[in-house]
Amino acid sequence: MSNYSFIPHRCRPYPLAVVSAPFTFTLPPELSAKEPPERRGLARDHVRLMVIERAKRAVTHTRFDRLGQFLRGGDLLVFNTSRTLPASLQACAAPAGPCMEIRLAEHLPDDSWLALLLCQRGDPFACGLRAGMQVEFGEGLTGTIIERDERIQRLWRMRFSKSGPELIDVLYRLGRPVRYEYVSAPWDLDYYQTVYAREPGSAEMPSAGRAFTWRLLFNLKRQGIDMAYLVLHTTLSSYMDDELDALHPASEEEYFINATTAEKLNRARAEGGRIIAVGTTVVRALEAVAERDGRVRAGHGYTRLRITSEHKLKAVDALLTGLHEPEASHLDLLTAFLPAEQIREAYEEAVRLGYLWHEFGDLNLIL
Amino acid sequence: MNRLQGKNILITGASRGLGRSLAIEYAREGAAALSLVARSSGHLKEVSERVREAGPATRLLLIEADLQHQEEIERVVATTLSEFGGRLDVLVNNASAIGPTPLPYLLDYPLEDFRSVLDTNLIAPFLLIKKALPAMVEHGGSIINVTSDAGQTGYPGWGAYGISKFGLEGMSQTWAAELDGSDVRINVVDPGEMNTAMHRAAEPEEDPNQWASPEEVTEVFVYLASDESRHLNGQRFQAQEENWGRKEGSNEGKRAEG
Repeated sequence: MSNYSFIPHRCRPYPLAVVSAPFTFTLPPELSAKEPPERRGLARDHVRLMVIERAKRAVTHTRFDRLGQFLRGGDLLVFNTSRTLPASLQACAAPAGPCMEIRLAEHLPDDSWLALLLCQRGDPFACGLRAGMQVEFGEGLTGTIIERDERIQRLWRMRFSKSGPELIDVLYRLGRPVRYEYVSAPWDLDYYQTVYAREPGSAEMPSAGRAFTWRLLFNLKRQGIDMAYLVLHTTLSSYMDDELDALHPASEEEYFINATTAEKLNRARAEGGRIIAVGTTVVRALEAVAERDGRVRAGHGYTRLRITSEHKLKAVDALLTGLHEPEASHLDLLTAFLPAEQIREAYEEAVRLGYLWHEFGDLNLIL
Repeated sequence: MNRLQGKNILITGASRGLGRSLAIEYAREGAAALSLVARSSGHLKEVSERVREAGPATRLLLIEADLQHQEEIERVVATTLSEFGGRLDVLVNNASAIGPTPLPYLLDYPLEDFRSVLDTNLIAPFLLIKKALPAMVEHGGSIINVTSDAGQTGYPGWGAYGISKFGLEGMSQTWAAELDGSDVRINVVDPGEMNTAMHRAAEPEEDPNQWASPEEVTEVFVYLASDESRHLNGQRFQAQEENWGRKEGSNEGKRAEG
């Protein structure tokens, strides 16, 4: 699998709303989790957990499998069950054109896809990428590059020669998980799945739930913690363009919330239980569909909701999430839960204590 | 009829023998969707025609995969759940490899063949259950593992196959204990001696007419796939015995202690 850590990023103005990060901090490179915990000699659920209790203004450092100590009967954990796709594909333009990595970002309603195209040689965006280009993947799969996305111009809309389960089947034969430069090796797709993953569709793992094990889930259930499930297929977290990434373009993501989940959420809320989102993707899906009184309806749609300090949370009371990079858009979302200053203090402490960042790293519970 | 209405079902080893018969019978019983997995797409196409005749309303997904390769299993589950909207009700781990024929003694068993049989018969069901379980926990579901009397008794020549079935039965008990209280149940079925290509290859000197045809043993599989068996967990059934080898009134599943 290609490693794009060498790629020079280009600067280019984009007609997108600029959102400045709520605060910044220095993340030493050694605090990036380079391997899954299981490959660092840790059990999946033995990563560290930083608990921020807003009401007490208290920060506790513990281990993830002790999560139950901070929850109470009647609380509802909401999980995103989207399965990670092997969304990184190698393709070459036909005939004898440039070869590239194609990272799938989003499956669109008309069955086309948004994808990030990265040239394999030289400047990642300058190998003659153009609308109308035909690309070949192998295993009989071809694609047509249709046009640039109007909103996020690093993305292209493309169409595959296969669709439905036939396409999923061949993607799993050809693809690899999207991998960033801080990850030490091309780990198998299994390392990029939560234990409760179901339907495939995420460009990247919804990683806040990665540390859950079935043992922990069953223990929490016995403790009276209820669980509900929704799907939000994640898009790419980086467009491999520093300037564009810094603008935090509000990506569009597809979600599904079924009637059972909506009913559980509304009942838990009515009975005084806390709604605890496992991951920012769950916050995004629930806040996208919540009514003013916090009630949630079942539905399927696409959301471009941007959650910042200006957003008043309606459906979610607490959040389990990873630790986010300086300048990451997810930091904006955290400020909907607590003031930036409080997050900054906790993050500085996490850096001092050697917490690990990114998808294989440690976790943060905000109550 | 319609005992399996609304059920999304995945069957491995579905192109021939027992798997083929189960696919047809499950469609006849009104299964909503079938994901049929087999090494060869050629046989699967023939099965799909029979399935369509038996249950025209049953949605059908055919997946060609060799389950001895672990990476194939993620593809099988992902493709199935993509088509099934993330919900699976029944998983039948039926695919089995017999190993080299004529059946060698363990003393003569080539290591590569030994591993290959265990990969197909034991590791693949382990991974399939692990990966399919998330699609079952919310609504409940049934996992049926196909075993053999060679999974309880050691027979000369049935080395890797028998060992894999011993393992499968033990693994099923552990799964049943761990899943206790989860609404997902797991049971094993010994279909008994059947007239299948695999059995004929293993025992070419025997008269296959003395063995049951796969169509004759499907009833217990329908029962276990249906909601009629929702309280049963961790049990072993013998398809060709009276009352499937169970005593009358034994309707409680084996439950884990503590």
